[in-house]
Amino acid sequence: MAQAIASTNVPRWLPADQLDRLIDVLRADGRTIIGPTVRDGAIVLAEIQGAADLPAGRGDEASPGRYRVTQREDSRRFDHAVGPMSPKRWTFPPRAPIRLGRRTSAGVRFSGVDPRPTPRPTPLAFIGVRACELAAIKIQDHVFLDGPAVDGDYRARRASAFLVAVECATPTSTCFCTSMGTGPEVTTGFDVVLTELDDGFIVRVGSPAGVTVVDALSLSPADGSAMKAAEAVVAGARDAMGSPMNMENVHEGLQASPEHPGWAAVAERCLSCTNCTLVCPTCFCTSVVERSDLDGSISTSERTWDSCFNEGFAKVAGGSFRPLVKDRYRQWLTHKFSTWWDQFGSSGCVGCGRCIAWCPAGIDVREELAVIGGVGPVPMPQLSVVAAATEAPVTISPGSVPAAFVTVHVDGSSRETADTMTLHLNTTDRRLLAGRPGQFVMATLPAFSAAPISISRFRSDGLDLTIRAAGPATRALTELERGSTLGVRGPLGRGWPVEEMTGRDVVIVAGGVGLAPLRPLIDACLAERDALGAVRIYLGARTPTDRLFVEEVGRLALRMDIEVEETVDRAGPVWLGRVGIVTQLFDHATWDGRNAVAFVCGPERMMQATSEVLFSRGIDVDRTWVTLERNMSCGVGLCGHCQLGKFFVCKDGPVFSLAELGPAFTTDGL
Amino acid sequence: MTASAPRRRARTRRFEVEGLTRVEGEGSLRIVIRDGEVIEAQLGIFEAPRYFERLVRGRTPDEVLDIVARICGICPVAYQMSAVHAFEDGVGIEIDPAVRALRRLLYCGEWIESHALHVYFLHAPDFMGYASAIELARDHRVLVERALALKKAGNHLVALIGGRPIHPVSVRVGGFYHTPTRAELTALRPELTAALDIALETVAVTTELNTPDFSREPRLVSLRHPTDYPMNEGRIVSTDGLDLAPTDWERAFAEDQVGWSNALQARTHAGDVYLLGPSSRITLAGDKLHPRAAEALAQSGLADEIRRNPFRSIVARAIELVHATAVAIDIIDDYRPPERPATPWNPGPGTAAWATEAPRGLLFHTYELDEEGRVATARIVPPTSQNQAAIEADLTDFAPSVLGLPHDEATHRFEQLIRSYDPCISCATHFLDLRVEDRR
Amino acid sequence: MSPTARRSGRRRPRVGVVKFASCDGCQLTLLDLEDDLLAIAERFDIVEFPEATSRRSAGPFDVLLVEGSISTEEQLEELLRLRRESTTLVTIGACATAGGIQALRNWSEHGPWAATVYPRPELIESLAMATPVADHVTVDAELRGCPIDPQQLLELLTALVVGRRPQLPDESVCAECKRRGATCVVVSQGTACLGPVTRTGCGALCPVYGRGCYGCFGPRNDANVVSLIANTAGLDDSVASTRLAGFTAWAEPFRSVIDDHGGPPGAKP
Repeated sequence: MAQAIASTNVPRWLPADQLDRLIDVLRADGRTIIGPTVRDGAIVLAEIQGAADLPAGRGDEASPGRYRVTQREDSRRFDHAVGPMSPKRWTFPPRAPIRLGRRTSAGVRFSGVDPRPTPRPTPLAFIGVRACELAAIKIQDHVFLDGPAVDGDYRARRASAFLVAVECATPTSTCFCTSMGTGPEVTTGFDVVLTELDDGFIVRVGSPAGVTVVDALSLSPADGSAMKAAEAVVAGARDAMGSPMNMENVHEGLQASPEHPGWAAVAERCLSCTNCTLVCPTCFCTSVVERSDLDGSISTSERTWDSCFNEGFAKVAGGSFRPLVKDRYRQWLTHKFSTWWDQFGSSGCVGCGRCIAWCPAGIDVREELAVIGGVGPVPMPQLSVVAAATEAPVTISPGSVPAAFVTVHVDGSSRETADTMTLHLNTTDRRLLAGRPGQFVMATLPAFSAAPISISRFRSDGLDLTIRAAGPATRALTELERGSTLGVRGPLGRGWPVEEMTGRDVVIVAGGVGLAPLRPLIDACLAERDALGAVRIYLGARTPTDRLFVEEVGRLALRMDIEVEETVDRAGPVWLGRVGIVTQLFDHATWDGRNAVAFVCGPERMMQATSEVLFSRGIDVDRTWVTLERNMSCGVGLCGHCQLGKFFVCKDGPVFSLAELGPAFTTDGL
Repeated sequence: MTASAPRRRARTRRFEVEGLTRVEGEGSLRIVIRDGEVIEAQLGIFEAPRYFERLVRGRTPDEVLDIVARICGICPVAYQMSAVHAFEDGVGIEIDPAVRALRRLLYCGEWIESHALHVYFLHAPDFMGYASAIELARDHRVLVERALALKKAGNHLVALIGGRPIHPVSVRVGGFYHTPTRAELTALRPELTAALDIALETVAVTTELNTPDFSREPRLVSLRHPTDYPMNEGRIVSTDGLDLAPTDWERAFAEDQVGWSNALQARTHAGDVYLLGPSSRITLAGDKLHPRAAEALAQSGLADEIRRNPFRSIVARAIELVHATAVAIDIIDDYRPPERPATPWNPGPGTAAWATEAPRGLLFHTYELDEEGRVATARIVPPTSQNQAAIEADLTDFAPSVLGLPHDEATHRFEQLIRSYDPCISCATHFLDLRVEDRR
Repeated sequence: MSPTARRSGRRRPRVGVVKFASCDGCQLTLLDLEDDLLAIAERFDIVEFPEATSRRSAGPFDVLLVEGSISTEEQLEELLRLRRESTTLVTIGACATAGGIQALRNWSEHGPWAATVYPRPELIESLAMATPVADHVTVDAELRGCPIDPQQLLELLTALVVGRRPQLPDESVCAECKRRGATCVVVSQGTACLGPVTRTGCGALCPVYGRGCYGCFGPRNDANVVSLIANTAGLDDSVASTRLAGFTAWAEPFRSVIDDHGGPPGAKP
């Protein structure tokens, strides 16, 4: 293949007035052509019919918060930088239906998978793609196609896309691809690349598909003077951007500066309007919107572009975990320039400058990086945008991820507390049955959003879900009765490291409903009891009526080989047990934790306090495991909602050791 | 509708209704009858005042267009049209013929939406014996579904040109902020073609309605244009020979305030009442109707009754539905987007005045602009406050013919008569509280 | 049986649609849901809706949709009565949720204002201010907009039937502007636009039509109006109060910023 490209990769010459021949060849393959065109005061991307729609003789200028289309002396069609749109709009559209849910007489049914491969999207050809945009496409390819979960919709759209790149000639003041190592030269990831001169184009190919298209044009080779002029075009573009920034320290610098005063300063200017994220060619965060008929009997789940700048993006039952705009700006900038490396082995920024030009308040990320991230003006060796990361990505995920909701039957339910129910589900789905303690599922009903729910028991013929009615969606789940059905997708995430228990003492600490994800771990302790040291279980609840699995805990407490201690924050008249917060249970304990492993689940403040107590008892941070609650939505690391520092809680967790989390466990608003 | 029993049995037979329904806004009606003679007939408008004439002070003409739209959720385009023409006339802006066509198309959309709403949702239930169109749909589902389709076609037109059906955002002084492409408009053609059929059917349906017998010789006023059926342009004419420029409404008419109303009532300078709306337009400019509408009018054979009997206004609206739909199709077929969406202009001082034909009749605006071109004073005269006095006069004339009917039936007839003028009390300001007293 | 199925077995919710000082446009939006209106009328028992039906009810209501701001003593009394009759009270539109355009008079003394419109202002009964419903009673849900968006209304009604939370995101107009592929008028034309501080719901209508947002849906939670005025093109201190003094002027933080800039245009008699 490489041979075939090389043998035909003699630069060709396409006269300026014959550009339509290239477009016609692409259209003959049934492709829709997406290219730059002037509309509403900008050079946007849109479906074009021919070369006449391209912005001949038009250029653009951009600075922070300002963009204008300009008139040029020549009639070149690609002598502009990038406008507000990128190919992302087509490969990863702003709205896409991903699932259909129905209530039928036989129970709930879900069709399509999540994400669903769209059947045969119209094949696309992009014309005029810049080096920075090719880098962005490569980054999104990596996010959507190379992880444990593959976005089928993206895959289908992307597979059909033919990329006609163009060498950049006139960058604007907002361009900084040279700092990110993505341009201006087009080097990889294209099918055909053009270099535009006044009277025509140098045409080179970059793929077998490109060879086929260029062969069909029967072009003569480009002559030497044209080649020389083409080189000057690219060199001119590079010079126009000046010295690249030194990005060497940005990865560590940003993660080391969560409390930097620069965050509050930029938050005063930031409008949290989401423009930067939605013009960014790599940002991939989404939410799912449910649309149903009036009966709620048919519903469509639609995936829409979302943004970490929206307050609701980081909302959980207890409120937003990034309540301040400064928290959100920090999340965005840190993710883009730093934690992206940890997650995907590259920067999330390609230097296209859209976030600078299209920020209505004119915030320039380059300046913020200089203030907060320690980015210096000194040139540095080029980073390759998708080069191997300095350290391996943190992903610790199972090999394949269930993508579709399956229908499971409710065999019965048990009331645990005033607002918490345990559903006993029957299923033969092997994947669900083979889950690990600490994993969770997404559970849903048609017309309701899906909710992450802990698996509270595995049985040979099904599993238990313990659900607290925190909102309408979870309430609807708690109201399910024997014989009804729901949709479940999972098991998801990384569970408790059960193997860590072997030969060690085990300490389990639960607060309130936090006992639910720990119950399968307790089951595992019982099954492996002989292989373990002492097993100590500490349970806290707000009041006696907020305790889960009361009878079962009572039976456990009677066992001689397990120690169970319980306390409640506030007691009623009939409570004869201890009163106080859960950490007080350790006050009189005499054990030594140097050979112990601890598993903790409860409210985050409770887990923080508990981990301190455990540490003081000799349990090191790499032996204390917690499970985190975030607003998991897709469950497979593709929607961005549950990010915590460099982690996607849904796929890298929800179980983490304190050592893994580091400061992420205690930093507010991360 | 709840109606209380007569309070004074001996000399006075009294009808009281807490609120009149199926009108836009809130008002009251009070009729006092002594010894069989009507001594008082007051249409009160108690919609809370919103002071629009004051709110627009200090605003630029373009801001005024957005503000005055909020006077009425049913006919926002009418307010934008009267205002934008007033400013363009006052400042001296020539608009592109394509802009003119597009504005007529926008107005057609509003006429269709407003008339379809009134005919089927507000008025037809009276004739057919239902409390609402929703109840009507239980027995005549297809009819109501077709009415909804007709209304929707009008809303789609307004939404395509203006962005949304209520309080559209595209009109600006000099033209539009944004104009649709030919393809976008052509895409509406099938829906409008279907709507034209429904409109023609509406003429047939309304013609057949059992209509109360009532006849008088009213003074009617509307615009009249040399080539077009009155809408955005034309001279103010009347059945008694008035002929004025659309800027000169104040030369013939004046507003006054009465104690029972939060709206100002308009009369001629001689103190005479007059009536606006579809019946007036058909009477004064019926020769300019689209051929499809003219044909429907001829077939109905009701041209004269439309003039004399206010209950026949439902037919007049149906005829105008045909007209607006047919004209909309013609405009779409001839549409070419304007060279530029808006003609540039410079703000400055002056007087701006204009009248256009809202669905309910002639709507007059006048503004004084200060040195910076901002509004110094404004007067907005909506059709309902002009019709108010004529409605009261008609109620006086009509009352004797129903006093022999049972109480509820008579009450219903009064309400039906009021609805036949399609009073937009939100426009006039609003609360209709109908009381009929018969003092003997 | 599923919760929804159980719910559907219950009696139809009794719905009322009422108005105070307003243009009727928001309640008209219900009638503008042409494709769904008859289905809605089957799902809900519309017992009070004077604009559309002669059948009347004084209550009780499972759901009451309230349009308009409170401008007279009578309206205030009626609102208090309706609140007592209603399980779920939903305000619809800018007048009910933020006071509407008529709330601009709140910056001025009422008497002189009335005198500029009415020759005999003593005949007019009016409170000194036009205020949103939530200033007087507890509001269970609100639909923003001048007018409300038909799809948001349908979403609210659907959510009420199904028993889920209506999806009415508190994000900027910009988010929807970008999803729709419109070009930012601030950045590309220097046009004043309230989009960054205004809640979405309209579909970014004005930017899509080439003009700046004028704030129909009111400020969103994180509205950074100070930065908008200080840092965006087309908007500066000289035009800030005019631009903000629209259909949701009385909502904070718009109201305070208007105060800081000397009140709305024409506030002084």
